[in-house]
Amino acid sequence: MATDRHSERRPDPDALLALAERGKRGRLLVFLGAAPGVGKTYAMLQRARLLREEGVDVVIGLVETHARSDTEALTRDLETLPRRQVPWQGHVIEEFDIDAALRRKPKLIIVDELAHTNALESRHPKRWQDVEELLDARIDVWTALNIQHLESLADVVSRITGVTVRETVPDIVLRDADDIVLVDIPSEELIQRLKDGKVYLAETAKLAQQKFFTLRNLTALREIALRRAAARVDDQMVEQLRQNAIEGPWETAERLLVCVGPDGLSHDVVRAASRLATGLNASWVAVTVDTPGGSEAPGERAKIADDALRLAQSLGAEVSRLAGHDLPAEILLYAQRENITQIVVGRSKAGLLRRLAGRSLSEALVRRAALIGVHVVTGDKPSQTPPRRWDLRALLGRETRIGAAAAVASVAAAVGAGELLNVWLRLPNLSMIFLIAVLFCSARYGARAAILAGVLSFLAYDFFFIEPLYQFTVNEPHEFFALVIFLAVAILVSWLAGRARDQETLARASARATQSLFELSRKLSGAVALDDILQAATVYAQKTLSARCVVMLTPEDGELALSSAWPPIDALDAGEEGAARWAFEKSEAAGWKTGTLPNVRFQFRPLVTSRGVVGVCGFQPQDPAGPLSPTMEHALNLILEQAAIAIDRAILVKASVRTVALEENEKLRTTLLASLSHDLRTPLATITGAVTTLRKFGEAMPAEQRADILVSIEEESGRLTRFIANLLDMSRIEAGALRPKTDLVDVAELVRASVDRAAKAFPAQNFATSVARDLPFVKGDAKLLEQVLFNLLDNAQKYGGGGRVAIHARRDGALVLISVTDEGPGVKPADLERIFEKFFRGGRMDGRRAGTGLGLSISRGLVEAMGGRIWAESPAARRRGTRLVISVPAAEASEATKAVS
Amino acid sequence: MNGPRILVVDDEPQILRFLRPALEASGYAVLHAGGGHEALRLIANAAPDLVVLDLGLPDMDGKEVIAAARQFTAAPIVVLSARDREAEKIAALDLGADDYVEKPFTIGELLARLRAALRHAKAGVAPKTKIEIDGLTIDMERRLVARDGAAIKLTPREYDLLCALAGNAGRVMTHSQLLTAVWGPAHKSDTQYLRVFVGQLRNKIERDASAPSIIRTESGIGYRFSDGA
Repeated sequence: MATDRHSERRPDPDALLALAERGKRGRLLVFLGAAPGVGKTYAMLQRARLLREEGVDVVIGLVETHARSDTEALTRDLETLPRRQVPWQGHVIEEFDIDAALRRKPKLIIVDELAHTNALESRHPKRWQDVEELLDARIDVWTALNIQHLESLADVVSRITGVTVRETVPDIVLRDADDIVLVDIPSEELIQRLKDGKVYLAETAKLAQQKFFTLRNLTALREIALRRAAARVDDQMVEQLRQNAIEGPWETAERLLVCVGPDGLSHDVVRAASRLATGLNASWVAVTVDTPGGSEAPGERAKIADDALRLAQSLGAEVSRLAGHDLPAEILLYAQRENITQIVVGRSKAGLLRRLAGRSLSEALVRRAALIGVHVVTGDKPSQTPPRRWDLRALLGRETRIGAAAAVASVAAAVGAGELLNVWLRLPNLSMIFLIAVLFCSARYGARAAILAGVLSFLAYDFFFIEPLYQFTVNEPHEFFALVIFLAVAILVSWLAGRARDQETLARASARATQSLFELSRKLSGAVALDDILQAATVYAQKTLSARCVVMLTPEDGELALSSAWPPIDALDAGEEGAARWAFEKSEAAGWKTGTLPNVRFQFRPLVTSRGVVGVCGFQPQDPAGPLSPTMEHALNLILEQAAIAIDRAILVKASVRTVALEENEKLRTTLLASLSHDLRTPLATITGAVTTLRKFGEAMPAEQRADILVSIEEESGRLTRFIANLLDMSRIEAGALRPKTDLVDVAELVRASVDRAAKAFPAQNFATSVARDLPFVKGDAKLLEQVLFNLLDNAQKYGGGGRVAIHARRDGALVLISVTDEGPGVKPADLERIFEKFFRGGRMDGRRAGTGLGLSISRGLVEAMGGRIWAESPAARRRGTRLVISVPAAEASEATKAVS
Repeated sequence: MNGPRILVVDDEPQILRFLRPALEASGYAVLHAGGGHEALRLIANAAPDLVVLDLGLPDMDGKEVIAAARQFTAAPIVVLSARDREAEKIAALDLGADDYVEKPFTIGELLARLRAALRHAKAGVAPKTKIEIDGLTIDMERRLVARDGAAIKLTPREYDLLCALAGNAGRVMTHSQLLTAVWGPAHKSDTQYLRVFVGQLRNKIERDASAPSIIRTESGIGYRFSDGA
């Protein structure tokens, strides 16, 4: 067991990882004070001067000295960055210049007043966000913070002091700070300093008026600050223990869950949970439950829950959204899955009836939770749950009116039907007919119409069919009883049917969403080209979010550029581009409703693929003031995911196409080498072998055998010569060194000369010539034309399969066409152009057909240099054969006569 | 003619035009195949004593012909191949070809290789127990090696390597064939072992290790133990 114990005593990997992560950022030191005036700035500057003397690169980013001489004296020796001048409503306000700080990039920068709210057009709304960016840029930051500005304490502070705290800093900023320095003086002394006028600043003046600086307040704040600092030091010790693998009881098994709902208490509940979590050193998660199918619009109520969740996130909570009808059940299920040990819930102001039935959320949780502690937070002010929307507007909504009309009409119809039946049959009980009316309304118009129909039926039944008739009184007790039962049944039926209808609506909506998503993924998978994918994604996103959408990508390691937009726009403005770049570089949302450049019209989200961030997707909501609803958020995430996958695929396809092209190129080179090697070596091998054979056995050989071997030597030498001539021609054409003469050439003579040469080179081949009479001269180089024609004949005998090779020459307008036709298997249509490419050869790659793959390529080069054209036709006749045609310009008759004279 | 029958597999008619008279003049009977399929049919039916095979054939790869032929014949196969196709030569030898001749070749060179291959094929029927060459004697039964009567001390690996080479005297052995025979299939590509051991072996058995005459290097391919011819 001892060994086990030993192996467990390793540094906790998580703790080490956190340490390593920290090394990548700048270090944050927070000077924490209980109230303004305790001397945070002074302490900060004093320590900075010490560092300065040690040679550390310290810069003042922004310090508020409030014109106090001793503080100002401290700043004198330190480099101070100029402030940014922001014009605002006719005057100029000065702000911390983050860009200047990033450009200057000191080792350490001092930025006072962490809780400050920046001017409207700044990159970040809050100064603590500027500080985060500095830390990301590996700049160490010192800053000052009053405890009252800490988000989780805001409500406590305002309760104690009666002053509402507006500027807050999320707890995570302090939690993630590398260290804190508590600046503390006794409360009496602070008050004395105030009285002496040693502390005087705008903020304090204002606060002073609000009776902030009372001994009671200051003592309370001081206690909070001291406790926070102590907790913080405790955390640090635990962290250190973990990093150094010292055993200890630091492990906390506590995990908190806080329930957030659409009521005014939510923020207080979240803060309470945050404090509790901090106290327990536990992780915590904030949860809200959406009840689907509700007819209410996601308006005010949803916004409250959203805001509370956001607050929880900024306080360091994980955030989760659940969906379901049964709130306590959903919450407890989640709690079980997530190993939650404690639940924090606000006491909802459920109506008296629900409370009596034990149906308020807190009570249900207490009743049903097993092995989970439940904290109930009560508010001191009346809950500000906004009324459900339908209380006002929904009642007057078109749908409700139609439902009411339908209820009245169907009940009237039931009355009519009942009267008719009464005439014929005199049924003892007509309630069933009214039930039909209720059912019809519930199935067609929902629960509310059905309930109305139920009540109306109840009244109508009583009025029209129960003695005494046409009165709302009932004579017989059993009749009354039947009526009440009818009402109960009607309401139950309508509730059930209405619920079924709601569920159907929900199912239909989800089917629509699925259908729509399916459509998107089909469109995306159908598109191969990147442009098509982007187009499909932006159009779809525009439709779904009803917001203008843009996609920006980085083309080939370039700058982020607009790639697609719907509806189309030409360019983004500078602020929008800044937000887009931010989203791309930091891989986080930027722009509208985010912590970075929130005044930009667009919100940009990174497109994350398997190869990292490839671009950003931006959307501009129609109503900039409206919230980003959970459904929209969900849809957006789906689109981003799908688009990222599709883009990733498109990039992969592109890359693989490039690889294939490279491979093709490589293959071509190999083929070329193989072919050159083979074509040079075969004649050489024959010559060497034949010569050595003759030397060794020649004398003993019969004369005709000897002669045959000699002929083979001659033939192979010719083959070699032609091959080398081809290579030289090719290199001359490629080097542009070919200068064809423009003589007058007699076509008949040209054909005769090349056929003679071919007949000599390929004695076994049968050539047939037919040249039209009175052909005009052509303009060109006789020598080169002969070479071209010979190449065509060579080619024809090689691929002609031994059949006849026919040469035709005829006039066609101002051109003379010379064609060479073989009877071989022909050329595939796809290859008709490719056969003129260099080293393209019919047959196998290692080229058993003795040829260079250069002949036709050279011919084309030569003909085109003379202003003619060459092309191939296949099949030439009877589905076989290839015809190669040269067209050269005919010489003018006048030129011909001139030449003759 | 009653001499050994040689099958020439080559689709270049010009080669055959001198090869046939030369081979016939040297006392061989000549068969000819223009492609791989015809070659395999002739090897199976006519049972030639030796095959001269050009690796570039119109209908199938020459290496496939070797692989297929080795299923049913032990007749020596001499491959004709270009100098720059080293990988192809090695593959052919590993598939069971006995030797190779680079194109272009002189007829004398080819005939020497054919003779060696035929001799080796005949000798292979009864493996020798004693080899003597250029003053070096190897007694395989007693595992003794001596030069001019003086015993040479070899390590077991060196002795195995010497036997692998001497047992195939006159034939080229590829690196991987030697490595497989001496070190086992796992070391098939550890060519540097081989270089070291061949160097040591030469120091011990050659008269002049800087100009080896018994173990000759076939550069890029392997080694050939001289058969004294």
